[in-house]
Amino acid sequence: MAPQTDHEEREIKLSDITLIKGIWPFIRPYFWMLCISVLLVFLVTFLELLIPILTQKAIDGFILPQSGAGTDLWGIEIESFKLFAVIFFTVVLVSLITDFAQTVFMEYTGQKIILYLRCSLFRHMSLLPVAYFDEFSSGRLVSRVAGDVENMNEMFSSILVFVFRDLVLMIGILAVMFSMNATMALHISAVVPFILIGILFFSKISRKVFRTLRQKIGEINHVFSETMAGIKIIQTTAGVDLFLRKFGKINTDHLMAGLFQIRIFAVFMPFIGFLSTLGTGIIIWTGGAEIVQEEITIGVLVAFLSYIKMFFRPVRDLSEKFNLLQNALASGERIVSVLNRKPFQDRLSESDHRIGKIERIEFDHICFSYKPEEEVLTNISFSVRRGQSIGIAGHTGSGKSSLINLITGFYRPDSGTITINGEEYENLSIKNIRDRTALVMQDPVLFSTSVRDNIRPPDSTMDDTELEQILEKANCGFLFERHQGIDTMVREGGRPFSSGEKQLLCIARAFAFNPDLIIFDEATSYMDTVSEQKVHQAMQRLMAGRISIIIAHRLNTVRDCDSILLLKKGTIKESGSHKTLMEKKGEYYHLLFQMQ
Amino acid sequence: MIVVDGLQLVIPEIIKRSVDMLESGSPDASVFAQQAFLIIILGALMMAIRYAWRVLLMGSARHLEKGLREELFHRIIHLDPTFYDGVKTGDIMARATSDINHIRMAFGLGIVAIIDAFLLGGATIAVMMWMNVKLTLLALVPMPFLIVSTKILGRKMHEYHNTAQESFSALTELVRESFFGIRVVKVFNFEPLVGEKVTRVATEYFGRNLKRAILTSFFKPLMTFFFNSSTFIIIFYGGYLVTRETVSAGELVAFVQYMGVLAWPMIALGWMTNLFQRGLASLKRVRKIIETEPSVRSLPDAVPPDPGAGDIEISNVVFAYNFGPPVLDQVSMRIGKGGFTGISGPPGSGKTSLIQLIPRLYDPRSGHISIAGRDIRQTDLNSLRGKIGFMPQESFIFSGSIRENIVMGQTVSEQTLSEIIHATVLADILEAMPDGLETVVGERGVTLSGGQKQRIALARTLVTPKDIILLDDPVSQMDTDTASSVMEGVKRLRGDATLVMISHRIAALPFCDTIFIMNKGRIENRGTHQSLMKTSPFYRNSYTAQMFEDRDGTAD
Repeated sequence: MAPQTDHEEREIKLSDITLIKGIWPFIRPYFWMLCISVLLVFLVTFLELLIPILTQKAIDGFILPQSGAGTDLWGIEIESFKLFAVIFFTVVLVSLITDFAQTVFMEYTGQKIILYLRCSLFRHMSLLPVAYFDEFSSGRLVSRVAGDVENMNEMFSSILVFVFRDLVLMIGILAVMFSMNATMALHISAVVPFILIGILFFSKISRKVFRTLRQKIGEINHVFSETMAGIKIIQTTAGVDLFLRKFGKINTDHLMAGLFQIRIFAVFMPFIGFLSTLGTGIIIWTGGAEIVQEEITIGVLVAFLSYIKMFFRPVRDLSEKFNLLQNALASGERIVSVLNRKPFQDRLSESDHRIGKIERIEFDHICFSYKPEEEVLTNISFSVRRGQSIGIAGHTGSGKSSLINLITGFYRPDSGTITINGEEYENLSIKNIRDRTALVMQDPVLFSTSVRDNIRPPDSTMDDTELEQILEKANCGFLFERHQGIDTMVREGGRPFSSGEKQLLCIARAFAFNPDLIIFDEATSYMDTVSEQKVHQAMQRLMAGRISIIIAHRLNTVRDCDSILLLKKGTIKESGSHKTLMEKKGEYYHLLFQMQ
Repeated sequence: MIVVDGLQLVIPEIIKRSVDMLESGSPDASVFAQQAFLIIILGALMMAIRYAWRVLLMGSARHLEKGLREELFHRIIHLDPTFYDGVKTGDIMARATSDINHIRMAFGLGIVAIIDAFLLGGATIAVMMWMNVKLTLLALVPMPFLIVSTKILGRKMHEYHNTAQESFSALTELVRESFFGIRVVKVFNFEPLVGEKVTRVATEYFGRNLKRAILTSFFKPLMTFFFNSSTFIIIFYGGYLVTRETVSAGELVAFVQYMGVLAWPMIALGWMTNLFQRGLASLKRVRKIIETEPSVRSLPDAVPPDPGAGDIEISNVVFAYNFGPPVLDQVSMRIGKGGFTGISGPPGSGKTSLIQLIPRLYDPRSGHISIAGRDIRQTDLNSLRGKIGFMPQESFIFSGSIRENIVMGQTVSEQTLSEIIHATVLADILEAMPDGLETVVGERGVTLSGGQKQRIALARTLVTPKDIILLDDPVSQMDTDTASSVMEGVKRLRGDATLVMISHRIAALPFCDTIFIMNKGRIENRGTHQSLMKTSPFYRNSYTAQMFEDRDGTAD
């Protein structure tokens, strides 16, 4: 059995610089908002720091006065205890308001950045080459846009600003402590290097765990999505056990990573707590001695004790946030790795050179492979011009569908050139070509929205009557007989339509786009002969004045084409019209003969 | 944890003693060293105990997460397709990840927070009471306000969380669908369209999430405010008491310290409410799925089917999807053991719906189906499905190796496997693949052609011996040559199993003993190839059209 890890996603690891570079463009437009958030944080922090000072002033000035009652607040003498109480309470109130304003503003900024990031990420991904989607599964990719971006949310809405705030708070506390009593502050600073070392050390290990956690979540999403898509097969074969096992394994892996993460934090968090008690111990020790020597007042000692508590709260906070931060950074890596994929990376052309109507398509000695050393198309040359149709026949796996992947620009050939109206494909705008192309595939794809939105070209002004005419042409009469016409809502998996009906709707979509080039990739597989005949009539009408490429496993579908290519193992075995190929009595003739 | 909380309370006590000692006289410095040493020892002890409860409690939350996710998966894998007709994959995915994550947070951190808050908070208050009742009560004046405001905010939060998660589900589904149909998105230049749609849904999510966030933003400042108010009361009322000498300075300092200890439980309370509300709302969403009962179930007295049972009798079956219009209307047919039966008819005539009723993917609305004289509802579901080989119309390839796709976790001998591979004409394909049977095929087998997928799906259906084989248009995407070889293989492999096959390709049907022609949910005609050529216009037209040499002559 192939090793399981083969189909799992690789762990993604990026340097922090790459990470920041990747995310920065999304922060930039909102950078000023973040700055305001930070300014507000300064204000809130300042107010927060003010309260222990006020407490100290209260104790030293009123409760245990050395000399007559009264204290000075930045030069202003306050003698009344009541007035002092009013000032104290005002500070408390203002602190409430600014704190609230700051939090709301910050959340807003964070969510804004996330929205921007999510939309850009999705747009970016939708522009990535099809090869990328072939490489990863849709379930895994979904967890990037949904889950990973959600994790980044924490990053912007709380971590970024809070980390800043906590750092400022810690520095502020240290500064205040130094100004109150340098020797004692110095003693306490001895703890700081331990904190830093602790943080650096744990950040290294925990990022690794979070990476694994995120990757496993991607896997979980993938198993869910696949199970739900293939549920009928799973239930009717022995697949239930297989999938339960598969899922069980991933889920257990996820659990193990989770438990490991807990152990890491179970060491880290109490460690920080211990440092806090250590700090308290140091204060009592050194502070007590200093009070005896009358170097400091009791009020200062109390303030110090409050500050040490305050100092460790952000540290504690910071380490809780750290949890989220590491999680967010692990997600960030996954997002940036997608963003760093160039939409047109090596497979597609970047040009925006436009052409008019597609008049002629030529393949000149095209070779193509999905994986190195596994050529699926070898030396393919043919040309087709407007008004002509070309049929591509051949056994299953002879390379018919790969040809389509090249014409639509999903993939690029390894060698040889494709030209459109005599211009090299590479030099043309892919979008422009696709605007003029319609594709009907063997697996009908419909989106969960109304039939109207499924078939109407974007930005078109086509009205309902026109759409109804198109549906009529595509034999979609069933829509009006058994459903609510063009307003019928398509649900997931193309319900409520049968496979044949879904394919008819896809054909209607192709009609609606009024393309120069129309490609049918085994489009009639799901259709019974009666509908197929009708589609054929409609196709003949549609094909007039256009280029059409028809891939079929049934020769009767390609019989009427102007020319037919018979593919075998990636090469053109025979080509010509039905008549000439029949006269040749080669493989085509024999294929046909076998049919009867 | 109780110990830790107790220890945490001892520290202010030591501080209090030190401060009082300072006030009462001038002890020598070594006393402070002793006290400081005591504090540090306590700190180390707390560290050790905290480690233990963190691992235990948070660990159990992780186990809960795993268990819940597993239960969810077990449930959805056993639910019948009727359930799937009503849900979206993206929604389930959101529940399996985002919602379960919220639940874990609530029960891990949330429980830690709640216990911590109550124990530490309660103990602190008790010690404070013991020191000075009046001052404590006054300091606690802001508490009722805190609890009330927490409750009000909590309720709102529950609601906002729910609406936010709903729109997160919608977003997940939209993204999934767009990625799944990426080829169509690209060729028809739907990128801007889906991009706009995602922007719209993401913006809606943004709005709802922001509402939730703003509500959450109330918490922390509010907690700090109440906490500061308490400090305010202690300082000013306590200060007043100190000047009247009813309270010692050391006590006052200890009080301020205790308030500091109380700060955490208060913040935890707010935080916990938030986590809990989110967790509960999410739990509701997850339970809704877990508690869904499959509508197709074995009856309590169900028995396994008799080995070799192959007669199928369908009588007066009426069937509709959910609340839709009936797609099968009084269908009756009898299929003899070991026979080869064909079903054909225009699209939407009910062929696929009918065949899905036999392995009980759905149950008919009325009428019944029996195998060897026993109603399939009285047959044990798992063993019933074990006896039936079913190949759905759209062949689905799981990501994994071709071998995994065929074997599906069963034990199959190499010899049987190679027989199957030859019978389904897969040998040449496998030879051309880089790793043969072990070649990994992508989601939905992107690198495989339709015909290849069908052959793998067929091999999967036939890999273990069955009594009944149901094939839904199995060769539609193969070229004629391959199709007839595959059909030969199937006939050879089936042994005396009953074979029922839906086909649009009439050429595959003449070998059938009986062919049913369906139309608009009813059986329109039945007979052999010869008789249907005379009696069924649909059959005759299709046949002649497909034998295209005569197509132009008789098709119209």
